[in-house]
Amino acid sequence: MANKLIDLVNITKSYGDNVVLDDLNLYIRENEFLTLLGPSGCGKTTTLRIIGGFEQPDQGKVMFDGTDITNLPPNKRQLNTVFQKYALFTHMTIAENIAFGLKLKNKSKAYIDDKIHYALKLVNLDGYENRKPDSLSGGQQQRIAIARAIVNEPKILLLDEPLGALDLKLRQDMQYELIRLKNELGITFIYVTHDQEEALTMSDTIVVMNQGYIQQIGTPEDIYNEPENAFVADFIGDSNIINATMLEDRLVSFFGAKWQCVDEGFGTNKPVDVVIRPEDVVLCKPEEGTISGEVTHIIFKGVHYEMEVMAGGFEWLVHSTIMHPVGEKVGIQVDPFNIQIMHKPESEDEEVAYVED
Amino acid sequence: MKRFIERFYVAIIFIFLYAPIVTLIVLSFNSSRTRAKWGGFTTHWYSELFKNDAIMQALYNTIFIAIVSSVIATLIGTITCIALNNMKARPKNLLLGMNNIPMLNADIVTGISLMLLFISFGFRFGMQTILLAHITFNIPYVILNVMPKFKQLNPNTYEAALDLGASPVYAFFKVIFPDILPGILSGFLMAFTMSLDDFIITHFTKGAGVDTLSTKIYTEVRKGIKPEMYALSTIIFVTVFVLLLIVNISPAKEKQSRKHVSFVRRYSKQFAAAAVALILIIGSVFLFQGKGNQQVIVYNWGEYLDPEVLTMFEEETGIEVVYDEYETNETMYPKVASKAADYDVVCPSDYMIQKMIENGLLAELNYDNIPNVKNIDPDYINQSKDFDPENKYSVPYCVGTVGILYNKTMVDEPVDSWDILWNDKYKDNILMQDSVRDAFMVALKKLGYSMNSSDPKELEEAKQALIDQKPLTQAYVVDQVRDKMIGNEAAIGVIYSGEAIYTKRENPDLEYVIPKEGTNVWIDSWCILKDAPNKENAEKFINFLCRPDIALMNFEYITYSTPNTEARKLIEDDDIRNSTIAFPDLTQYNNLETFQYLGDKTDRIYNNLWKEVKSK
Repeated sequence: MANKLIDLVNITKSYGDNVVLDDLNLYIRENEFLTLLGPSGCGKTTTLRIIGGFEQPDQGKVMFDGTDITNLPPNKRQLNTVFQKYALFTHMTIAENIAFGLKLKNKSKAYIDDKIHYALKLVNLDGYENRKPDSLSGGQQQRIAIARAIVNEPKILLLDEPLGALDLKLRQDMQYELIRLKNELGITFIYVTHDQEEALTMSDTIVVMNQGYIQQIGTPEDIYNEPENAFVADFIGDSNIINATMLEDRLVSFFGAKWQCVDEGFGTNKPVDVVIRPEDVVLCKPEEGTISGEVTHIIFKGVHYEMEVMAGGFEWLVHSTIMHPVGEKVGIQVDPFNIQIMHKPESEDEEVAYVED
Repeated sequence: MKRFIERFYVAIIFIFLYAPIVTLIVLSFNSSRTRAKWGGFTTHWYSELFKNDAIMQALYNTIFIAIVSSVIATLIGTITCIALNNMKARPKNLLLGMNNIPMLNADIVTGISLMLLFISFGFRFGMQTILLAHITFNIPYVILNVMPKFKQLNPNTYEAALDLGASPVYAFFKVIFPDILPGILSGFLMAFTMSLDDFIITHFTKGAGVDTLSTKIYTEVRKGIKPEMYALSTIIFVTVFVLLLIVNISPAKEKQSRKHVSFVRRYSKQFAAAAVALILIIGSVFLFQGKGNQQVIVYNWGEYLDPEVLTMFEEETGIEVVYDEYETNETMYPKVASKAADYDVVCPSDYMIQKMIENGLLAELNYDNIPNVKNIDPDYINQSKDFDPENKYSVPYCVGTVGILYNKTMVDEPVDSWDILWNDKYKDNILMQDSVRDAFMVALKKLGYSMNSSDPKELEEAKQALIDQKPLTQAYVVDQVRDKMIGNEAAIGVIYSGEAIYTKRENPDLEYVIPKEGTNVWIDSWCILKDAPNKENAEKFINFLCRPDIALMNFEYITYSTPNTEARKLIEDDDIRNSTIAFPDLTQYNNLETFQYLGDKTDRIYNNLWKEVKSK
């Protein structure tokens, strides 16, 4: 595997009494698309700003390609940032915006013109050289901000919720655009978002953060299918999180029934959390289910129906392509592979998240 | 109907708001010197204005102070905004609140506190103290204008510039500065206007020989404001008006202002260089001017000396004159008493001289150094004993009497007594002086008492006499007596003789009389201050003013009577030389007196009785 390009070592940062990052360790490999994911206030933006040089950590080191850059000001770092609110220079033309960094590096005019042309082509905004930022739409402005950053050929591009201000359709288009850009440029992306779908779609690696701690690092599949705690499970997609007792290896008990599963090593008669994704809940005839209940609510979502089933004193969230009307008695089955067993939360930050937005 | 009332109301409001200014502008084109008559259209006062060196110097000072103080305040204010912008919310809001207080503070408080500060730090009052004061009061206005622009900034743009490799300074000038420039410009213009307008703060912080337009205009109030000043005020009004238009219109027309900004930006380096050069040039001229070894610092009434005389004195003696002006005895006294400025020579009035002697502020004169004192009429030297009992401290400069001015076409009986001011026949046609001692002088003299009385019974009687007279009077006024009498608006008025000569020339129907019960002979005299740094030069200066030819020049400039008998002989115009108004024979009148300083306690009694009269 490629070497560590950025290595954050024992980073601690607080504002007054508010500890934002607590002894954080994280490395980013060359050419990786890494996403920092978490609810607002989890420390993801602060982490990015520390990498960018806009904030100084209280403790710890920032290593870049083996050198300590903790005290290097932002203008001396070989990375560029795309800000959430674009931060274009409104009194300059698009061309002047893109040329800003190159002029500071004393590049020749021919080189700069070449780069402007290339960058605008890359973000599909050919011919916008002489426009002013105000005359562009939000998505176009964001693409200019990206163009302005990448013409400097940074080793790493930092993106701070760059799509946060765009509408859904535009956001999805831009996601593909970013993936394409990354593949064409072959540089490392560090991406900050609170949108789990965005993170799952684009990333090579996702870092889930909450209250200044890293909760889980892994590929999108790992994070989705095998959340390590209730916070991750709840934050990544919808899930049913149930208090349960691990009776023995591969057998768990909840709602008065015994369920087959595939997890081992949790001990015997230990309290655990069980995560079941709504699309993994199979509805059947009442007498065929492990437990049974009644449909209380149903919404048509397009690709599937979203239903709520009251069973065992718990409101199950169920996604299914087969409709069951409200009031129908149903049974519930779950494939043993789809029952994910987790340890009970050890601290507050691992508990189920209540996302503000 | 409702619409009509709305429009009518708005029209009335604007008429009230703009009538005074329109009057001023109209009068600035009036070829007659008096406000009472329209003498035809002229631009004469405007050309006179530009020929008047003293006014031009004041104009230059005003503009210099306005430019330098607003440039420096803009610089300091903008830098302060940068610092404030990077602070946490709570201290920032606290400081912004504190920034607002000086703006809401009364000017007079700001002025006095600055004066005290400068005194306690031993600053010499002059151009530099005015500049410091103006910079101080201008900074909050700059912050007020620039700060909102910082709030509008996207906090990320500055970081984006750093991120792209810009140094903090480069990022500020390239990215932040263009965005806040409109705020800086409007802050600058605001500061410039405030500085241009200021009177009170300048008044308290200025030193000898430095005047701005506003202080210059104010020193003229004693002698009546000259029409040149109407012209000047018109120009100031138009200038401020245009500046405000620029400030208010530029943000409204977004496109235009942007063009403007980019223009400024394109030439910003040249602008900065030009501004710095200008400041350096003006500053060095100001620093190196007038550093002569020999000087005398004169503190005189406004418009109370022919400027040509100063030039002649400097040429003949090589002594440089630093010249400063005041408008009343009461504004002169605290400045001299606080020793804020090192004045040598002052020209107070009679009662004030007595007060200054009693408070040990004056130096005894060495008459061996003032031989020309022999030209002064002994009658006035003698009269001066009322306030300077041994004639040790003062040399009379301007004198005059108070008497009755009446219109021969409206009054057919002989006028020789103050009693006529109590005559029912002239109800609503009588003008009284609106000042406590002048009004009580008339009443006390009518009753046969001394005008320096401090006997409560006599004063009570005088008060009653004034109350009895009040229904007959048209008004209590100061210098409007002159204009109203010229305009035939009243039949009888109490007036100073210096004004009377001039009114008679404008309206031949007017006649001036000194009543038989006696009156006030006022005397303004030159004195030297006890701490005068240049006492010998001061004596030379006084001696120079007593020279007949010089006294004549000053008489012709001021038009108030001179006690200099040799100068009087040189007057060419027979009418004036023989005028009994200008040169009354004091020995012919009885009971002539000069105001004395009666002490604070008696002053209070007078003021309380005066309040009773005025409130009736």
